[in-house]
Amino acid sequence: MVEHFCDGDMALAVIGLSHRTAPVAVRERFAYDRGEVPAALGRLVESGVADEAVLLSTCNRTEIYVSASDVVSGSAAALSILAEHAGETAEASARYLYQHRDRSAVEHLFRVVAGLESMAVGEPQIQGQVKDAYNLARETTSAAGAVVGATANRLFQTALAVGGRVRSETGLGVGAASIPSAAVELSRKIFGSLKGRRALILGAGEMSEVTLECLRSAGVGSCLVANRTHERARDLAGRWGGEAIEFDEFASALSSVDILISSTAAATPVLTRDLFRGSNPSGVSRPLCIIDIGMPRDVETAMAEEANVFLYNIDDLRQIVDHNLGQRRGELPRAEAIIGEGVEEFWGWYVGLAVVPTIRDLRERSEAVRQAEVEKALRRLAHLAPEDQEAIDALTRGLLNKLLHMPTVRLREAAGNGRGTSVLDTVRYLFELDGEAEHGEAEDSPDSTEKEINR
Amino acid sequence: MTGLLHLTSLGLYGIAAALLGVSLAKGDGRLPRMAAFIVVGALVLHAWAFAAFWAHWNELPLVGLGPVLFTLAMVLALGSVIAATLGHANTVGLVLLPVVVLLMGAAVAIGVVPASDALRFQGVWFALHVLFAILGYAGLTVAFGAGLMYLLQFRELKTKHFGAIFRFFPPLATLERLGRSGLMLGFSFHTLALLIGWAWVERFGIVMAGGNAKLAWAGLSWLVFIAALVAGTGGGRRGRRGAWASVLGFLLVVAAYLLIRVQASHGGAFL
Repeated sequence: MVEHFCDGDMALAVIGLSHRTAPVAVRERFAYDRGEVPAALGRLVESGVADEAVLLSTCNRTEIYVSASDVVSGSAAALSILAEHAGETAEASARYLYQHRDRSAVEHLFRVVAGLESMAVGEPQIQGQVKDAYNLARETTSAAGAVVGATANRLFQTALAVGGRVRSETGLGVGAASIPSAAVELSRKIFGSLKGRRALILGAGEMSEVTLECLRSAGVGSCLVANRTHERARDLAGRWGGEAIEFDEFASALSSVDILISSTAAATPVLTRDLFRGSNPSGVSRPLCIIDIGMPRDVETAMAEEANVFLYNIDDLRQIVDHNLGQRRGELPRAEAIIGEGVEEFWGWYVGLAVVPTIRDLRERSEAVRQAEVEKALRRLAHLAPEDQEAIDALTRGLLNKLLHMPTVRLREAAGNGRGTSVLDTVRYLFELDGEAEHGEAEDSPDSTEKEINR
Repeated sequence: MTGLLHLTSLGLYGIAAALLGVSLAKGDGRLPRMAAFIVVGALVLHAWAFAAFWAHWNELPLVGLGPVLFTLAMVLALGSVIAATLGHANTVGLVLLPVVVLLMGAAVAIGVVPASDALRFQGVWFALHVLFAILGYAGLTVAFGAGLMYLLQFRELKTKHFGAIFRFFPPLATLERLGRSGLMLGFSFHTLALLIGWAWVERFGIVMAGGNAKLAWAGLSWLVFIAALVAGTGGGRRGRRGAWASVLGFLLVVAAYLLIRVQASHGGAFL
């Protein structure tokens, strides 16, 4: 164990791919459905090369985190599982994949959770996705036992706490960072909560659907969909629990909705002021937020002059997104400082694991000596009353605890400040601990190790 | 001791207002958490000073300009906290806190001591009359703050200038709701204050001239409430109409007060 930490071959690694290393077509092949994850984790742990594993799969990344006594074999096994899932050879997959080990792997996870590695920096969904991945791994049991133990528990719990801190203590997650979320942000500035609001979607393209998805998750209650091809309107409405209306009816429906999202492929504006006035002679009696993301624009600019109408086009949304991204970039140093603190905290604990066997051996050895000496002494003092014998036993136990307290503290400190190797070697040599720490079932038990380090 | 409490709470209100101003200027769209804690701290000290006044003078700080401004400032600070929490308009303090600082500063400058004729006004009904009047004007001030912010936010949204105001100010719907709540509560309390005042005058057979300054100002304020409430109803541009009416009405009430006070300084007392 000591040598394992001495040569820097730490048993933590992450292997995976993301939007930075692979195009979407490749990412799709590597992505896992939720139902496929337990089998992959089980295989990895059952193979014996990985002690613990967590698989994170989102639309932008697929990563396997492994804790292994042999990190090279553990990474190779993870790589082969990923490649096999994607239907590629390990060699062919390698060009899309990245690997981080040890401290770098920890930092990578913390950056992922905090949203620093996301396509839209600071996006909040990744926190929940990592939590789901961790929880799924915790629920998974392989033939070799649980796939998550002390190390992965601590790693992911710290990562989630770091992600939470970054979001609450910095402005990294403030403001919209994509066009659809900017549409939601704008709508919220008019209506406050979007719960129960009605939206009308004009056009049934991909952008309309993505924006509708954002609006629905923001609380928009019901939606109408209008498209020149009515079938497509019906499909989109069906997917999102909305109602399809005829394209010709959309102008008159404006008086009953709060938000209009327009994204048609029309070459000329489909909503002119004249059309609006014709269908709504007295205008609208409540605010109407029109988000025109069509290119060319779908809504005549004169519509902005209507009372209660707030008209925005894609450039307006871009303006919001650009500003927010700029603000988020300005928050990066603060976020990275929090991540740095989290890495230090975890690493201090993790490196501290190396001293646990030595501390345990030292205590067991000392306790064995104490018990032997006490028994020897009590045989000579058999005439003493049981209370007196107990007092002697307690005295020696207290003496031993006091004597071992400072060495225990110093060993933990040494592990954390990088002097652990030489100090551990010295302790093991001085107290003749070698040969006793290398075996024993309890020693490798994550639970016992965690209890020991937490003492 | 109470002087120290007054100055400390005044200072804390000032710091909180400055923090909000800095946050707005920075344009990061976030309320500094520290500002909220400071306002609550200032309010606690303010309430402590209120209780100390009561204990020391054996009457509530409701008679005399200094005590009334002191109490109005406390009610407004409380209104700002309520608006921030229950009203989900956590940045409305940007407008209300400077008003609180102004009122508190004036109260401290004038002196938070009972007026010489305080004993004449002892009694539950009088205390309720003044307290309700203060609550009424606090409601109008909240409506003014919300209305002003509504107009500025409306302008940002219409002109597509997504600057600091867009990010920092609450949504239009929130401001409209807050302004309307301020007006409704303010109107109710103001009406109650007028009714109690009328009953009090009747009960003690006090003769008030038709052109009595207090009566005129109270009547004007009541009309302002009505006008602002009516302006904010119906369809069309009701949000903007209501906001304009609240802002202009508040300014009219303040201007009328100052005018009457200047006049009264020549020929008699006025609150």
